[in-house]
Amino acid sequence: MKASLEAILQDAGVWRGLEAATAVVRARCPSGWPRLDATLAGGGWPLGTLIELLLPAHGLGELRLLMPALCRQLMPSPGDGPRWLVWISPPHEPYPPALAQSGLDPARMLRIDAPQPADRLWAVEQVLHSGSAAVVLCWLDAVDDRWLRRLKLAVENQSVLLIALRPTTRRQTHSPASLRIELVPTPQGLDLMILKERGRAPTRVTRVFGE
Amino acid sequence: MAIRPRLRRLLPERRVQNVNLDLFASTERVTPHPTPPPMPRVLPQPAQLWLAVRFPTLPLVVVPDPAAVQAVVEGLPGRQWLVAVTAPARHLGLEVGLSRAAAEIRAPSVALYERCPEREAQALQARARAAFAFTPFVSLEAPDTLLLEIQGSLRLFGGLEALLERVRSTLATALIPTVQATAPTVRAALWLARARVERPVRSMVELPGALAALPLAVTGFEASVLQTCERMGVSTLGELIRLPRDGVARRLTPDVPRQLDEALGRTPQPRRRHVLAERFTDQIDLPAESLTTDSLLPWCEHLLAAQQRFLVQRDAAVAQCRFRFQHRSGQGATTLVLQRSLPATQAAEWQILLTERLGRLPLSAPVVAITLRSGVVLPAVPLDEGIGGVGHDGKAAAARLLDRLRARLGEEAVHGVCLVPEHRPEYAYARVRPTLPAMTADPAVWPIAPRPLWLLAAPQSLPVREATPCYGGPLRLLSGPERIESGWWSGQGVARDYYVACAASGARVWIFCERDADGQRHWFLHGVFA
Repeated sequence: MKASLEAILQDAGVWRGLEAATAVVRARCPSGWPRLDATLAGGGWPLGTLIELLLPAHGLGELRLLMPALCRQLMPSPGDGPRWLVWISPPHEPYPPALAQSGLDPARMLRIDAPQPADRLWAVEQVLHSGSAAVVLCWLDAVDDRWLRRLKLAVENQSVLLIALRPTTRRQTHSPASLRIELVPTPQGLDLMILKERGRAPTRVTRVFGE
Repeated sequence: MAIRPRLRRLLPERRVQNVNLDLFASTERVTPHPTPPPMPRVLPQPAQLWLAVRFPTLPLVVVPDPAAVQAVVEGLPGRQWLVAVTAPARHLGLEVGLSRAAAEIRAPSVALYERCPEREAQALQARARAAFAFTPFVSLEAPDTLLLEIQGSLRLFGGLEALLERVRSTLATALIPTVQATAPTVRAALWLARARVERPVRSMVELPGALAALPLAVTGFEASVLQTCERMGVSTLGELIRLPRDGVARRLTPDVPRQLDEALGRTPQPRRRHVLAERFTDQIDLPAESLTTDSLLPWCEHLLAAQQRFLVQRDAAVAQCRFRFQHRSGQGATTLVLQRSLPATQAAEWQILLTERLGRLPLSAPVVAITLRSGVVLPAVPLDEGIGGVGHDGKAAAARLLDRLRARLGEEAVHGVCLVPEHRPEYAYARVRPTLPAMTADPAVWPIAPRPLWLLAAPQSLPVREATPCYGGPLRLLSGPERIESGWWSGQGVARDYYVACAASGARVWIFCERDADGQRHWFLHGVFA
């Protein structure tokens, strides 16, 4: 009886209320910013789950914030083939010379343009199911949270960094994301407001990087 | 089935071994000969075994009902004769060669059909396609015979008897049975099949005896040659073979001894190999007009399954196929092109793309027929899917993903990028078809000066207040200028001074200053250091 219960609890689809307390260790990818790593549980971005970044505008340093993690995720791991960095409907052109300067191989970029939100979500799901992506960055606005839940299930148990970037105006809507962070630009640098993380009250991380 | 030709290449059958010449060489060294006589050298000849499959009642393809009293006629109106009859008609006394008038007297109920050579040729080609299941070498002998080289297939099919049985069960029908003759030469097999001699002749030694009893008519020589033979009292092949060669060549035609040599294996007879069609094309006429794409799907899947059979026979794959939905006459047709990044053989791979596209296909009018035409046929390459998910390089999964994305979002919506060595920022990269590289290259760091991660699709003009460009407030220049002056030869020349600036919101932006013909300075926003 106990053994079969254990087997059921091992299933990724079963949610346990005490998960944070029992410290189910997820794979993590260090963010590369010491102040952020010190704050986030496990010391980095969680892999295999949905992360939501809320931006007041585009171009506040959101890519700079993610860049160390992107480089780390694209590094070849033994026994695993090369995987893509997928950009789904970015607001501007991710400029390849700048990506190369930051240490990313432009040949590993895959850009998907989908004007319809439903198509964007479908594309994310397809990318996750194919298992050929290391990072998925998706720009979204208003979406049905059932869809977000679907994406969260699709990315479960994969070492994929899945990040949805949404405007700050969506702050009050419900989201199933495991980690929700709001970007707050200040004259001194970038502050991060961690709105939601399991087993934690909202926290502010000041000056992740300065000017 | 498809693996067999490769096996044959690996294991060539050679009956005659090369003669070892070393012993002779050593004796010749003791008593050297000034001009040594040419040594008779036996070349290793691959043994061949030919199977002639003849369909004597092939003209019956035009007959709609095999169980009825029916026959096929040929000839000009008024002088027609029967070329094939069904079994019920044969019981009523009808036979091949009977004139039409006599047939109608013997069996007044007989239904007569005109012979159709085109239909017969199509039927023979369809049987040739099926015959590729047994050997890679199939040759057509018009009007009613297929020639198969089967020596290399014997072991795979468990011997000659088993192979003949398989060929018969595949190619023969109740209406159009087969006559199967086996011989070591093409011509002998053909003649035996015409004489309906089905006993296999497996070696060259048996060949003259087997051919001797055949009537001369099986050779298909010209009528004048056959008449001359008859006048000479020669009625069988054996009698003709016994006559002196030069006399036969002089009194008949030089062609006759040549054909006899070919039949007996004294001279080789090259055959033209039947080549399967380069593309798959098939059409289905729908039983009822259809306007909904849902009802078209099963028919399309049927066509894809037929394409898969075609490809499997050839050990081939296609990277593109084209559906054409024909509307009623005068209303044109709707075309749907499916494209894959890797060629695929299996219908299931195509069905994924088809269901994605078919649901969104705008149909202007009801569809009456569907045509599927495959793209260029390519050799099939097995995909590295790995075993149990271990050791695969993910290429197949990546290609499948790209195909699905393109099918739904369009060709232009999915792309990769590459660097272009070019000074003008907007030309320093290009959109490319994405491929997943096997290796991660060290990123080429070029250029040295800072570049923004977001590049605007087009430079955005900035207002100037008190000689300072503004973007939601006056901009503070942090670094620059970086002069970029290039491309004058292409008509798209630029002469710009780039600066990194800080906006009031804290965002760092990439702006440039350009002078127009009057020397006036204009400021533009080109990128954001996100």
